[in-house]
Amino acid sequence: MEQDLFTRLTSVHKPDCELFEGPALAASSPDPDALAATLGTDAAARYAADCHPVYEDLRRIVGQISGMMILAQLTRRSAVADLKELEGCRERWQRAADRLHALRVPSELTAHHEQLMGAHSFSGSALRGFSALSANGNNDAIFDDISRHVQRAYAHLRAATADRAGLQMVDLDHACCSCGR
Amino acid sequence: MSDYSIWVCEYSYVPQYHKSGVLYGAHNEGYVKLPYCYVVIKGNGRTVMVDVGYNDKDYGKTLGDRFGVENWRTPKTVLAEVGVTPEEVDTCFITHAHFDHFGNVEDFPNAKFYIQEREIAKWVWAMSLPDRMRWMMIAVDPGDIVRGVNLARDRRLETVNGSVSDVLPGIDLHAADDSHTWGSMWVTVRNDGKAESDDTWVLAGDLIYVFDNLKGSGAAVDAAEDIYTPVGLAVGSQTNLVLATEEMMKQVDYDAKRIIPIHEERLKDVFPSRTTSEGLRITEICLADGEASKVAN
Repeated sequence: MEQDLFTRLTSVHKPDCELFEGPALAASSPDPDALAATLGTDAAARYAADCHPVYEDLRRIVGQISGMMILAQLTRRSAVADLKELEGCRERWQRAADRLHALRVPSELTAHHEQLMGAHSFSGSALRGFSALSANGNNDAIFDDISRHVQRAYAHLRAATADRAGLQMVDLDHACCSCGR
Repeated sequence: MSDYSIWVCEYSYVPQYHKSGVLYGAHNEGYVKLPYCYVVIKGNGRTVMVDVGYNDKDYGKTLGDRFGVENWRTPKTVLAEVGVTPEEVDTCFITHAHFDHFGNVEDFPNAKFYIQEREIAKWVWAMSLPDRMRWMMIAVDPGDIVRGVNLARDRRLETVNGSVSDVLPGIDLHAADDSHTWGSMWVTVRNDGKAESDDTWVLAGDLIYVFDNLKGSGAAVDAAEDIYTPVGLAVGSQTNLVLATEEMMKQVDYDAKRIIPIHEERLKDVFPSRTTSEGLRITEICLADGEASKVAN
């Protein structure tokens, strides 16, 4: 039987989901000494290194919210609010909050930190929007709010992008522009 | 009778790209020039793009500094060479969601965008994976998905479930799941409009990078004849790339010249071409009835 668009979009990955139910592996972190040489001071290098997981969390959150918004708009289904992916996104958002507040921010980098805070705050607003979706009503106004918030979050995250510190929006190392340098 | 003109328009390039990226197994075989191109299809009252390139504002500095990408030009500049403005473009077929194919939707304000729904769904899934699996997010910009939100809200994003015939008259979309990306597709133009066409062109996206993907050396497997050698870069499988290649070749009755690889620098050796004053190549694949050449002197 032909599945509807919502089912197809939300179940395409299900057969391999069991792969990810185990505990997370320990994450490797960038070498602060290498970053210090790039950035100038130990404090800045430590901050940049500690930023990596926060930045990556926010990058994923923005991507996930956007993807779920596309899904919601294409299908006009509020059931997107019940997806496991949304719950995972909320957990990642909470984890990012903890990491963000634990950062030791050198005074010269407070503006950078504020951009990360902005990205986090607006993605949180977008996430809360999903909870307001109604199964029966017209959700266009809520979709508009979520879209506005996620775009604002992305703008803040772009402003916090720092290629030299390894905070990159796109992993281009193996992309069709990389010449192995 | 030809319904559509087709041009391949270069908008930037990488002077030295490692050959193993375009050709599976070509390790330590040096570098090739990798042009970045999109395709313009014009005819039947329509102006269509296959892919839209990337936005230099967002990526230019990184690409230039880190990867030596050179000479990016706007769609307005590039398309003017074939007498088209970005505003005229009514349809964009996105072969896959890599930044250099889906990264400039803003420059086409009046177009409807078609992409495989699997491509969107799988990228969302990949974004949710643990960090140890982030390799699967190579070359994807969350910003492109953000821009997709706007397209969806404006009803300008059309997701396609598998292969579709006559999405426009004589133009078909073909899915290649789990190949270069999870939901890649190629575009087939039946330029005489017939179901069993004698004038078929395949616009291959990144399923075929270069001619060698179609006619690789058989010596690698002790074969006397040429073999398909898949693209090096794939999040799906090279097997699926080879199967997609066979399907494309069937569509053009095994005339490899009719499969157009947009990253192939040697297109200019096969089709009429010219280099613009900006140092970028325009290649004319075919002309619709009554259309004037854009590459003739």
